[in-house]
Amino acid sequence: MWNSNESLWSRRAALIAGLGVILLLAPGTSRAQGDTPPDFGDLPDWSGVWQMIGGTVFDQATREGEGGSTTPGVREHPPYNAEWEAMYREHLALRDQQRFPDVISNCGVPAGWPRIFNLPDVYEMVVRPEQTWILSENGPNVYRIYTDGREMPAPEDRWPTYTGVSVGRWEGRTLVWETKSTKGWMDRDVLLDRTGLVLSNQAEGTHRMYVNDAGNLQIDMVITDPQALTGPWPVTHQFRRLPPGTMVYDYGCAENNRNPVDTEQGVTLTLDPDGNPFPLD
Amino acid sequence: MTRQRLFGNAALVGVAAAGLCLAARPALGHHSNTGFSRDEVRQIAGTVKEFQFTNPHTWIQVLVEDESGESVEWSIEWGSPNQLGRRGIRPSSFPVGAEVTMRYRPMLSGAPAGGFVGAKFADGTTIGNWDDE
Repeated sequence: MWNSNESLWSRRAALIAGLGVILLLAPGTSRAQGDTPPDFGDLPDWSGVWQMIGGTVFDQATREGEGGSTTPGVREHPPYNAEWEAMYREHLALRDQQRFPDVISNCGVPAGWPRIFNLPDVYEMVVRPEQTWILSENGPNVYRIYTDGREMPAPEDRWPTYTGVSVGRWEGRTLVWETKSTKGWMDRDVLLDRTGLVLSNQAEGTHRMYVNDAGNLQIDMVITDPQALTGPWPVTHQFRRLPPGTMVYDYGCAENNRNPVDTEQGVTLTLDPDGNPFPLD
Repeated sequence: MTRQRLFGNAALVGVAAAGLCLAARPALGHHSNTGFSRDEVRQIAGTVKEFQFTNPHTWIQVLVEDESGESVEWSIEWGSPNQLGRRGIRPSSFPVGAEVTMRYRPMLSGAPAGGFVGAKFADGTTIGNWDDE
């Protein structure tokens, strides 16, 4: 029998959950524009070198299976709609056969958003009142967040790029921003990880980045994608600060790339010292 | 004279211990799987020809004598010089001409290449994962 009290509580719970999502999204949408940048002395010290905690499975919270992103059986569970879930399963099947190469191995394109937060090697954060730069050694990649009071450019003034357009503001010592106009899977060259996780070019994100109680730099993202997802997708990543004096180096990806992707075969090659591919199987 | 030899199939070291395999998995951040075995670890012995301490991955080129006495150049892939440099590895870590025994995850095709697991030099020093049997 239908229980009206249960129904009421269910609706209240849904309302509270919905408000929570709105509150998480709201700072980036309603107040990101027009705020005065803080004084330099009010900004947090995010200097030094940071390294992502955990492997490169993008959404560790929904990971299924043991191992890394290239391990057969490992997958995540974003709130994909049926069409994108089916696509993800195709990617996973190819991954299991070592037939889902990662095009960044060709050393030609950036990692893109939100994979910029899911890279091995190390990171540096350059924080100024008007802008923050996130620099990844791997790639290398540069991700710019404007906090100079500008508004998010109008849709007609944006176009899809790998890292998109990011505008935000400071809430105390928390950096809050939105990212829009990213490429996603439109040209089949932006992955979230090597399981084959992808988003459309309709994907957007709201982010909050701060130093948590453990001293790690934490980024809480909420990803929306009306083309691929049935609802908001919260994902958290953390970065640990490496010892003072840690060096960061060039990452000249094309310097000696002996693992290019053969897109026709759908495989990552291994080249001998003369540049000829070794047989794969 | 430097002794070079390639272990025959019967002598290939198949290290079944899953723990070692997991510990031995190199940090190859640049690319997906490239036809290297996920589970098997083998061993070769030879002479270092070159240590390519370059991005996106380092390569240790080792000359190994095969069963017919021919010298074969093997390519053993390791992590980026950036990752390794922060762990104390240097371009001089594999000196040209050094005698070395290498453990690696072989290519499934049998090609003379693989993923680095560990190395042991003639003086007994080791690099990477090297658990004595």
